[in-house]
Amino acid sequence: MFVNQKPSKSSARFWALAATLAFSAFGAIAAGEIDFAHEVAPILRKHCVECHGGENAKGGFSINTRELFLDDESATPGEADQSLFIKLIRSTDPEEQMPPEKKSRLSPAEIEKLEKWVNAGMPWDAGFSFTRRTYEPPLKPRRPELPPIVDGRANPVDRILDAWLAERGLPRPAPIDDAQFLRRASLDLIGLPPTPEELDAFLADRDPAKRAKALRRLLDDEIGYADHWLTFWNDLLRNDYTGTGFITGGRKQISEWLYAALTANMPFDQFVRELIAPSTPASKGYIDGIKWRGNVSAGQAVEIQFAQSISQSFLGINLKCASCHDSFIDRWKLDESYGLAAVYSTRPLEISRCDKPVGRVAKAAWLFPELGDIDPKAEQPERLKQLAKLMTHPENGRTTRTIVNRLWAQLMGRGIVHPLDAMQTAPWNADLLDTLGVYLTDKKYDLKAVLELIATSEAYQSRCEIQDHGGEVGAYVYQGPRSRRMTAEQFMDALWLITSTAPGTFDAPVFRGRVDEAVLKGMRLQGQWIWGDSATGGKASPAGEEILLRKVFTLDGEVVRGGAVMTCDNSFVLYINGREAARGDSWSKPQAIALNGRLKKGSNHFVLRARNGGKAPNAAGLLFEANLRMSDGAAIVIASGSDWQWNAKLPKSREGRLGAVGGKWEKAIGVQAKPVWNEAVSGKFKNLLASVAHGEMPMTRASLMKSDFLMRSLGRPMREQIVSSRPSELSTLAAIDLHNNAVFADALARGGRLLAARNWSGTDELADYIYRFTLARKPTNAERATIHEVLGPEPKAEAVEDLLWAIFLKPEFMTVR
Amino acid sequence: MKLETDPQAPERIVRRDFLKQLAAAGAAAWMAGEPTLALAKDAGGKETPKIKQPEPTADSCILIWMGGGMAAPETFDPKRYLPFEKGLEIKKILSTFPAIDTAVDHIKICEGLENIAGVMDRATLIRSAVQADLGSILHSRHQYHWHTGYVPPQTVACPHLGAWMAKVLGPRNPVIPPFINIGQRLEGVGEKEELKAFTTAGFFGSEFGPMNLPYPKDAAAAVQPPKGMTAGRFANRAKLFRKLVDQNPNREVMSDYQRQSMLRSLENADRLIASKDREAFDIGLEPKESRERYDTGRFGQGCLLARRLVESGARFVEVTTEYVPFLHWDTHNDGHTTVDRVHKEMDRPIAQLILDLEERGLLDRTLVIIASEFSRDAMIEGKPGSNANDQARFKGDKMTELAHYGLHRHFTGGTNVVMFGGGMKKGFLYGKTADERPLVAVENPVSIMDLHATIMTAMGISPKTEFDIEGRPFYVTQDGKGKPVRELFG
Repeated sequence: MFVNQKPSKSSARFWALAATLAFSAFGAIAAGEIDFAHEVAPILRKHCVECHGGENAKGGFSINTRELFLDDESATPGEADQSLFIKLIRSTDPEEQMPPEKKSRLSPAEIEKLEKWVNAGMPWDAGFSFTRRTYEPPLKPRRPELPPIVDGRANPVDRILDAWLAERGLPRPAPIDDAQFLRRASLDLIGLPPTPEELDAFLADRDPAKRAKALRRLLDDEIGYADHWLTFWNDLLRNDYTGTGFITGGRKQISEWLYAALTANMPFDQFVRELIAPSTPASKGYIDGIKWRGNVSAGQAVEIQFAQSISQSFLGINLKCASCHDSFIDRWKLDESYGLAAVYSTRPLEISRCDKPVGRVAKAAWLFPELGDIDPKAEQPERLKQLAKLMTHPENGRTTRTIVNRLWAQLMGRGIVHPLDAMQTAPWNADLLDTLGVYLTDKKYDLKAVLELIATSEAYQSRCEIQDHGGEVGAYVYQGPRSRRMTAEQFMDALWLITSTAPGTFDAPVFRGRVDEAVLKGMRLQGQWIWGDSATGGKASPAGEEILLRKVFTLDGEVVRGGAVMTCDNSFVLYINGREAARGDSWSKPQAIALNGRLKKGSNHFVLRARNGGKAPNAAGLLFEANLRMSDGAAIVIASGSDWQWNAKLPKSREGRLGAVGGKWEKAIGVQAKPVWNEAVSGKFKNLLASVAHGEMPMTRASLMKSDFLMRSLGRPMREQIVSSRPSELSTLAAIDLHNNAVFADALARGGRLLAARNWSGTDELADYIYRFTLARKPTNAERATIHEVLGPEPKAEAVEDLLWAIFLKPEFMTVR
Repeated sequence: MKLETDPQAPERIVRRDFLKQLAAAGAAAWMAGEPTLALAKDAGGKETPKIKQPEPTADSCILIWMGGGMAAPETFDPKRYLPFEKGLEIKKILSTFPAIDTAVDHIKICEGLENIAGVMDRATLIRSAVQADLGSILHSRHQYHWHTGYVPPQTVACPHLGAWMAKVLGPRNPVIPPFINIGQRLEGVGEKEELKAFTTAGFFGSEFGPMNLPYPKDAAAAVQPPKGMTAGRFANRAKLFRKLVDQNPNREVMSDYQRQSMLRSLENADRLIASKDREAFDIGLEPKESRERYDTGRFGQGCLLARRLVESGARFVEVTTEYVPFLHWDTHNDGHTTVDRVHKEMDRPIAQLILDLEERGLLDRTLVIIASEFSRDAMIEGKPGSNANDQARFKGDKMTELAHYGLHRHFTGGTNVVMFGGGMKKGFLYGKTADERPLVAVENPVSIMDLHATIMTAMGISPKTEFDIEGRPFYVTQDGKGKPVRELFG
């Protein structure tokens, strides 16, 4: 079999020497007797560069450039006996000597030469660096010419891959059957296996276009799609419903915005712009990062987090190295990281190298000035807008390549560029990557269109590569998609679906549904504008007056879904049970929040800190309405009105907490609404409330739940850092959980009971049902015999439970393949 | 590594061969995951680990974690003692317990720790451990620093020191998970998310993460069939699983590697649950007399469980008095009374653990460490001159009631670490704090980085051990710069 020749390590280690030759004569003259390139560099290369040059910087020490060499006071030009690196080279202490114990030491002549060089002031040839030459990816989009269609395989993905395989004399991977196709596509696009009914209907369909139709149906399932891809985006944007940072108010969710964006299939360019330059607070949590109370190293200040996050999520650039010092592994420099950070910063941002200030202030700039600049003098919101525009610039092929590469990896198991967050790496097929990139822009940044293009290809619908080793060994050779272990969420969802044991409520504060127009028409809002005593008798309230308005209420059960809409003339902050939940600063822009996961059984309170603006007394008012659907089906409306209370004494609110409220609560005063108020808000109020109040509720999905021990052991990350791929291995601790975790065991037991209680024509029908649901196939005769041994002619609940357990643990089940 | 498997052979046999080959290749059964040990080429062009690991002086490690801030002047570094008295000025208080003699002439510790005093001749006591001042005290943040060696937040998820041992050394006994965490609840307590952030293998992946056993009495359940399932049914279920796996007709459409690695993990789990070694998790099997010697509550039971696990071949076990905001060591009020209770909980079990390990011949190769995220003081919050928020509940100058008597502020300037066994000196005192406030380390300060270097060196892990993650080196001690405190080794 033909395999791509991988360049040997030594030939890949191709040091940038060109500059040396051009300048060495000059260097030699300037330094008197020392010829750096011919006398010093070879010694350094022989003894030091392996660990301290190129992409290696052991102990944080790199000698790639003279500047780096001098950093950290490792060397003092002119004073060899004061230079740390000489001391280490001379040392005989095995703990500190350099090179370390196992390596050969420098000869006295070599040491003497280095000392002479240091005493001569460490002359260094201009432009010389030990950095390895690396691949530099193109920035602009490129539209490759497609190879001719062969055998009627017209999908651009197939045209490229067929030609690639043919060129290498490799066979095309064999196609998969309809049932395996539906299972794979369904798990990939909406995160659930097909039900036996869906599978039957699909297999019975004689339409030759049925696969394409099935893909469209899956992509059109707005809720299923959003539920599934929420996991991918939560990982990539490090969004979660609980986690570090929330405790001190140093972190905000973007769940509601994100879920709505996924439901609406927001074009990716707009999506990126709203994340980088948020037009509402709802998507701001992403750029604000995680702020810890207390001192934080310079490399983890929120501004630097911003630079790291946006470059990793959207450009596949790892700025983590370059946030502390010039990167040893790619081309990014400390100043470039800080330049990006300064786009976000609202304070003068002093550049620090390895946590020590270098005495320069960062100037807002972005990483690819060839596409345009950011005005460092502009205000922060404007700078963010400029950055968002550059990030989604039509000539910015990096952003599109990065996202299509991620989508490809989600569906095909491995990136075209690998690893996904190292987009400076050469793709194994540039034509494929670039074609997908321009396809995204051709389709107006419709991510579903890219998924559809990939999934409709013969390549996607073919057998998985048989890997006989883990990780990456040698050059990648495409031999079909790679199978992937189910994510924790896919595993839980499949478990819940098959055993009918999904939780009744969920934690993610999201609106999970669509507005029903008929419902909307029949809706009547119940909220009334209210304020404190200053509004008594229709009086204008003082400018700048700030009060609290509250409603205390008791819930008998769990909230299945719920939402609230509110606005205030002029601004408000909402606290739910003492924690900040929303804020708004324009009465014409009502704010809506989902209430799932925010309310508890028992007593709850909404407190709004409301402020009247203006310079002279003027009308003030607050409008609030919440709709709750309870687990017993009851509907509850909580609307502002005379049953609310107000309080003139303001607490000390900080870190997202309301704080202790003193003062006296008085009955709230109804305010006559200004006509403009109602006009501006009623439509939006109705819309938002309708979307939570009515309609069928699809099964609760694991992506909407807080992480738990089982999901964590199955590989759900904690999302303090950005994560772009899940572990492919099943850990032993997870395997122990699969043997005896109480939550898992309980779901299986309940599922066993439910399935055993159904009417089956016989054991075979039950076995077929379970096999088709879990594995999208019927049992073989051998398997059938085994199942009969276990289930007997009249399957009991426990036996069904045991069969379910055995199947759920099968690698065949746990894999998307 | 390419493993030769016969596609026609039954899966079970393939798996057995696979395991054998894995063993032959020297890969520990627990090894998996993304990060790779940094390699270097030797003269012959062969790739070998960059670092030569030191000869270990310990095979197992038990970390006894005093979560919440164990006050040095109330435990292992007694200072001037004044009994409670109404109207006493708080600034006069250094210790609220008098000093007592120990088995070592020149070492005194606090009253209430008489049993531990009796085994101090087996201990190395560091009185000069110091912590970074993080500007604001959030316990879990300091605990993160202590357990990982890195101050949060970090750009990568840092592994707990137990995870380092699991990753680098692997399990001692292949069926006992190499990283076990006893006594700390991670749900239903304050700062739980922050605790989870370091109670993890981080970028090593969950294979090397902790097995969490918050309730020592229930630990046995973690390695038993699910509640209500008989052993017979459990075994039959496993048989059914193996049979169905063997009968899988789809084997050719899946990767050998991926399937085998899943089966390997499942096999490991099955082995543990089926193994006699799992009895180590069941403290109910301990003779009554011995159980009672340890049983001062959850912490004492945890010490007993730790001993049983180490006896059975555990690599790293952490057992804690448990961190819960404002409970146990986190005294912001009524400190003296609370510490009096904590003394009673910790004194007997810790001493018994040392004696039991010694009696079984395990102490020499087991490094037992008592540590905490910082110390406490009656006056100073953080370190001298820090502007950290004063968190003592009572802020007056003079005590008016017993609840005001105690060390109610967090102090990072001088902390105790006690080590037993594992190659450390015996009856040895290292470092010193001032006799008058501020009670800062005045001799041989030991940073978290150097303390980690010491612990890791004892376990046979060089402080310079590095893994490549995201193309960058990540070291067990920051930048590989931790230096073991050589004077502590016997």
